[in-house]
Amino acid sequence: MVNLISNGNILIDIGLVLLAIIFAPILGGLVTGFDRVITARMQGRKGPPLLQPFYDFIKLMGKERIALNQTQGVYILGYLFFAISGFVMLIMGMDLLMLVFVLAFSAVSFILGAMSLRSPFSKIGAQRELIQLLSYEPVLIIMAFGVYNVTGSFQISDIWAFDKPLIVYLPLVFFAFLYVLTIKLRKSPFDFSTSHHGHQELIKGITIEFSGPQLALIELTHWYETVLLLGLISLFCVRPFWVGILLAIGAYFLEIVIDNISARVTWKWMLKATAILGVGVATINLVWLYVAK
Amino acid sequence: MELTLLLLAIFIPFASALICLLVRNSIIRKITVVLSSIGLAGVAAVLAYLMSQNGGTIIFKAEEFPSFLPTILKIADFALLATFITIGIKLKNPLIIALSAIQAIGYLYLEFFSGFQEAAGDILFKIDFLSLVMLLVVSIVGPLIVIFALGYMPEHEKHQHLKKSREPRFFFILLLFLAAMNALVTLNDLSWLYFFWEITTLCSFLLISHDKTLLSIKNATRALWINSLGGVAFIFANILFAKLGTLQIDKLIAENPKTSLFFVAVALLCFAGFTKAAQFPFQSWLLGAMVAPTPVSALLHSSTMVKAGVYIIVRFAPAITGTLLGDSVALVGGFTFLAAAAIAISQRDAKRVLAYSTISNLGLIICCAGIGGWLATTAAILLIIFHAVSKGLLFLCVGTIEHGIGSRNIEDMQGLFKRMPFTTTVAVIGMISMLLPPFGVLFTKWMAMESAVSQPLLLVMIALGSAFTVAFWAKWVGIILTMSYKTRYNTEKLKKSVEFSLATLLTGVILLAIGIVPLFNFLVKPYLDSINSKSGVPVSEMLVLMLFIVLLVLVFFLLRFSSKFNSSNLRKPYMCGENTDDIRGIEFMGPGDTTDEVVVHNYYLDGMFGEDKLTIVTNLIAGATILVMFGVVVQKWLT
Repeated sequence: MVNLISNGNILIDIGLVLLAIIFAPILGGLVTGFDRVITARMQGRKGPPLLQPFYDFIKLMGKERIALNQTQGVYILGYLFFAISGFVMLIMGMDLLMLVFVLAFSAVSFILGAMSLRSPFSKIGAQRELIQLLSYEPVLIIMAFGVYNVTGSFQISDIWAFDKPLIVYLPLVFFAFLYVLTIKLRKSPFDFSTSHHGHQELIKGITIEFSGPQLALIELTHWYETVLLLGLISLFCVRPFWVGILLAIGAYFLEIVIDNISARVTWKWMLKATAILGVGVATINLVWLYVAK
Repeated sequence: MELTLLLLAIFIPFASALICLLVRNSIIRKITVVLSSIGLAGVAAVLAYLMSQNGGTIIFKAEEFPSFLPTILKIADFALLATFITIGIKLKNPLIIALSAIQAIGYLYLEFFSGFQEAAGDILFKIDFLSLVMLLVVSIVGPLIVIFALGYMPEHEKHQHLKKSREPRFFFILLLFLAAMNALVTLNDLSWLYFFWEITTLCSFLLISHDKTLLSIKNATRALWINSLGGVAFIFANILFAKLGTLQIDKLIAENPKTSLFFVAVALLCFAGFTKAAQFPFQSWLLGAMVAPTPVSALLHSSTMVKAGVYIIVRFAPAITGTLLGDSVALVGGFTFLAAAAIAISQRDAKRVLAYSTISNLGLIICCAGIGGWLATTAAILLIIFHAVSKGLLFLCVGTIEHGIGSRNIEDMQGLFKRMPFTTTVAVIGMISMLLPPFGVLFTKWMAMESAVSQPLLLVMIALGSAFTVAFWAKWVGIILTMSYKTRYNTEKLKKSVEFSLATLLTGVILLAIGIVPLFNFLVKPYLDSINSKSGVPVSEMLVLMLFIVLLVLVFFLLRFSSKFNSSNLRKPYMCGENTDDIRGIEFMGPGDTTDEVVVHNYYLDGMFGEDKLTIVTNLIAGATILVMFGVVVQKWLT
């Protein structure tokens, strides 16, 4: 394990990691709050207060613990734990490829949770989420490969140490990453596993049978995921630091815009589009890096 | 001492095979199988201990054996090929007759007309750490499957209404298979290896056709001709190696002539490996093989047969690393990894999913062998081990489930946990071990990716393949974990031998996952040293530990949740207001106030990943890749 946070003092490291684990969801919740405000403004509404996601979270935590079976809550914990593990791997500067895997387990755990229920809507939502996973996973892996081809290592700490911005070498990979980010964040036009609103055909799909504290945990996981993904975006430009942050903010804003201007597509369309815009485009970038060497 | 052990490893299964064939008493058969299993595992363990003590390879020169052995080998070889021709005539299959005849002619030429004479002091057996890994896999996983068969076969025969039990024949071939495998992985002389290679072909033919149904004979025939194709390649490889002056594997690799002729020969050998390991476009024989009783599938897929195919390629990997041949072999394997995983998404039959997953994993092993280098070699060897244990376990689970619910369609396994809690738990852990951390298969995939970084085409194949892998496993796990609220669980009645095999293999899966680092240090690192490869630390122990802690915490919560669940919090699923009193949540009020059941199937994406859609295309691409591989080496040789 490489420690770049401090100079080898493990206690300070653990302290910093704990601090990050506490502050990440606060940041994630704020991002979600901004998302809701901006979305509302785009639609000509006033929107909820900025801190609404936190109010929702607290309210959900206090609700009755109802469930369809004994096991469904465990999957949600798996979803959360693996997402936190991924986040810790990011801030510790660990292996990017393993981080991508860990994110996939987080998603798989969520899918299994929804599949474990005797609910048709939840099952269909889970199947659709699986197809979403199928689309974004290869692109994330290829992104890790692209990073390796530039920095010569999968370690995130080596990206921090790399003296030039990655985006110069990996513009197409960056594009593909932004593209699959829409799928990963379940934003329109790729929101078919949750269908975004309760009154549409899937009635919230994958999350339908999770309520109260379980739904709160799903929300919490989503915040961690958001911060983690924003962190991954900022990896494309770590020097100077603020450019990376601006990049992440810009990318997220773009996601909100796309979310608001597009209608949901079918999964077949998505798989085909991802084959070209995600895998295809990212591969072109890999090939030119290879040829340039 | 070592020689006795080696001979025991080969003769224990051989002798017990004969006992099973000749003594038709089922009690004696059980005792024989159990004793020989203990013996075989013991022999392998002692050999492993000795190897770790003297830290090197164990060698037996040909001089240590009686001088008439080579003559016996020749006679046995011709007898074997004659058997193949007879089988071909019986089946009226000209292809098998022709392929066997070509092998016989090739063999005749090699032994009598090529003028080839092995130099004095040749080494007949050589056990290094790669052989040891294979030996351990064959001698520990293999017997567990045979023990499972003790409980499985009587049940299987009950369904068939046989007048006379055919179990003696069945166990004879199973055990013979293990003997042949143990010989195959320890031999250093390719002409001997060829004999046992063909024995495994014969055994698999006999096992696949065991039930004597039309379908089983048809599929066995296909297995035989495809593997005979591999046999032809093998004999031609031997002829070419003979031109280079030796059939000793260690000499060939150590001297590594790097002549164009050498690479043609190795390419032929790899081709033989592709057929045996059921790589695309030769996958159809392994898919057809599952008509046989479950223990056969388990054996073919985990510790024998297909592993012989990948073994020979991994064995020659050091000689082709970094060459065009190595790159082509990696492409063939990588493509199979991708194609098989894609088709697996569309499969509903549990055994077919397992079969495609096997083909896919073998592809990854071959891909790693082609890439070469310490990390890829580590990935290949560890994957051989992990895959053998997990896949053996999963096939046995599917067999048990099939006997339990009378179907092996994945869709019929919804709510399986209620009916077969033990088998389901074992199966889920087996599947998770192929997919999730902290189990080893994932780490090998990670290593494979890290070692393929400099080849964009391979990378994309592996990236897509691994995403597909996640999809098809997750779908299946999700189905069998589907459950309604239960207040109590059924207890499952299983035969002792079935329960024992499942429990032991499960323990193996878990121990291997925890011990991945010691496993590397004990078995893989010495092999890397012996082929003069530098090595490092493949996985950080910290990471394995961390992921295990996450897993343990989850298991803890699982147990806590299920025991502390308050049934007053129980609700039925949302059915748009059409629920009935059914607390399971399966029934709803349909049109006209009828009570209907909700049926939701998995997505199988047939339109995109269907077998009929992809098989032809993928076979053509794979065939083309193999032709390119030959083209590269043959052109160099001719010009």
